[in-house]
Amino acid sequence: MLMNRYLYDGTADGLLSAIAWILEEEPDPQQVALVERENTLFEEGFFIGTDVILAESLFFRLRKQTPDAAHTLYSFMLAEKEGMETSLLHYISLAFRYGDKVNGYLTHSAVQEIVAIAKKAGRELHRMKGLLRFEKLRDGAYLAKMEPDHNIIHPLAYHFRTRLRAQHWFLYDVKRRTAARWSNGTLQFGTIEQFTTPPLSDDEKKVQAMWQTFFKTIAIPDRKNARLQKSNMPMKYWKYLTEKQG
Amino acid sequence: MDTLAKLQILSGAARYDASCASSGSKREVPSCGTGNTSQSGICHSWSDDGRCISLLKILLSNDCRYDCAYCVNRSTNSVERASFTAREVVDLTLDFYRRNYIEGLFLSSAVMQSPDVTMERMVRVVETLRTEEHFGGYIHLKIIPGCSSELVRKAGLYADRISVNIELPSQVSLQRLAPQKHKDSILEPMALIGREINSSLVERQADRRAPRFAPAGQSTQMIIGASPENDFQILRLSQGLYKKMNLKRVYYSAYVPVSADNRLPVLAAPPLLREHRLYQADWLLRFYGFSAEEILSDDLPNLDETFDPKTAWALRHPEFFPVEINRADYATLLRVPGIGVTSAKRIIAARRFSAITPEGMKKIGVVIKRAKYFITSSGRSFEKPDQTPALIRQQLLLGEGYGAPPPRQLVFPGLFA
Ligand code: SF4
Repeated sequence: MLMNRYLYDGTADGLLSAIAWILEEEPDPQQVALVERENTLFEEGFFIGTDVILAESLFFRLRKQTPDAAHTLYSFMLAEKEGMETSLLHYISLAFRYGDKVNGYLTHSAVQEIVAIAKKAGRELHRMKGLLRFEKLRDGAYLAKMEPDHNIIHPLAYHFRTRLRAQHWFLYDVKRRTAARWSNGTLQFGTIEQFTTPPLSDDEKKVQAMWQTFFKTIAIPDRKNARLQKSNMPMKYWKYLTEKQG
Repeated sequence: MDTLAKLQILSGAARYDASCASSGSKREVPSCGTGNTSQSGICHSWSDDGRCISLLKILLSNDCRYDCAYCVNRSTNSVERASFTAREVVDLTLDFYRRNYIEGLFLSSAVMQSPDVTMERMVRVVETLRTEEHFGGYIHLKIIPGCSSELVRKAGLYADRISVNIELPSQVSLQRLAPQKHKDSILEPMALIGREINSSLVERQADRRAPRFAPAGQSTQMIIGASPENDFQILRLSQGLYKKMNLKRVYYSAYVPVSADNRLPVLAAPPLLREHRLYQADWLLRFYGFSAEEILSDDLPNLDETFDPKTAWALRHPEFFPVEINRADYATLLRVPGIGVTSAKRIIAARRFSAITPEGMKKIGVVIKRAKYFITSSGRSFEKPDQTPALIRQQLLLGEGYGAPPPRQLVFPGLFA
């Protein structure tokens, strides 16, 4: 049987509103495919326009019925994965059918794919909560730069909003040129086109040297294990790690 | 001496302390302050030996007046001595925390002039952090045996976790190797902490504002291989500590030969494999429903070197197997070698939808390399049925590289799973 094929505009809102539309209109969403529109002349399929309100209401309904699936969807979106729209559609339709149990249905390939990607994003978020490094600037604010694989600046900023709420700080995603800023009790997000690192505070190098010293001495010399270190802390993160400089 | 030089000495002296856990405490950020703790624990870095760094782990001082045979800091050993002021530790902790290097502080110490003087300064550090600096990060504080119970109580009010090292697995060994420490000065504060934790839990049920006492619980540590106790004695001791003293964790630390004292055994290397096996057995006690008496016995007092304790148990109990993965309950699944907590949960979640096939096992991420000898799915076995334990033993050895040299690396099962 040929699947019904739908198209959307490639945005996150467009994706969710298309899914919401299909769940409403299609008797069996498991038999439906959803792909991003490529704007070629003879593209096959029915285009569903973006409706932000529909997209939001889908997310809220999902969160109410199955918080686990809503959390998975949120993490999945952080991954900015392309070409998985049909799996996501099938996953969400199963989530409405089975509720929180759905994430256990790993023998279903859509569930397995979506959960795996969401897990990976969640893992990097958790890892980054530990690996992010702030440097103190001359004006007293703290700056942390990063290049994560997933677009995690939002949840990361929420984490540090609680944890480091007494200080003024910035997060900067070098690859995506997005930034988060916390000062005087407000959190803001934005993009930065031209970024130059401001001068560091006078005692910054001293504190960094202490951390580097601690990092070196705390390892047990007879038990060096570079492989284990790298598997826990992949080298792609070393660029911004204070202890791996100098 | 400047802080950097002290840090070098006093973090080096703390490096053999195994405990790095920073989880299990939920502390909100003080409204005007810095820091919170994370329920699941966060690693901030991994040192060159591959271990997780989550806490600033240091000694307040290594200037010890005791003379424990197994310890580098013993008074008769010639090493460079240093002591931090309380302020230095406070500033280091805050400077590191604000840059997201650490989850918090793990402070221990050698015995300076007296247990009380030492403990008093350690408590001053945490008191300053909590009340003056409004620090909400994780704090683990070691109790110095012999200090006053007043200081123990204060420590518990400010710290997330407190611990008293049991040091050695028996009183006889303690007397021989750490003559200035007495069994009572270790067990009394342990019992006191246990009581305070319980009564704080009870009080907080009645009134949410009642003060917390060591919300991440109590742990302890013992040195393995410096004294003659066997694994069965050690595991029974741990079991008693978990059951009677309500401890959260017992840490095992392979004895690192540091002196030629004739009271100590001559070891070519620290008994790392033994330590690793004890952690695995300990894991079985805490999360898999095993008792020390199931894992070992007087006839079999030491853990198998070749097989992990669960596989060793399974090989001794062929009557328990095979286990049918589509019917067995959680506790039974957990007894299958190769099926851990995560896999058992996944199997139970997935079979709600349909019976699990061998392919399904792979899809849900259960590694069946080891489990396949011990399970069936809907009555079908994964391996030829009726294999004798001896045969399974052999195949496990072949298939898993069990014969390979023991791990050089210290592993904490489950900490990073
Ligand atoms: S009291 Fe502690 S630091 Fe001092 S010698 Fe004994 S074990 Fe070492």
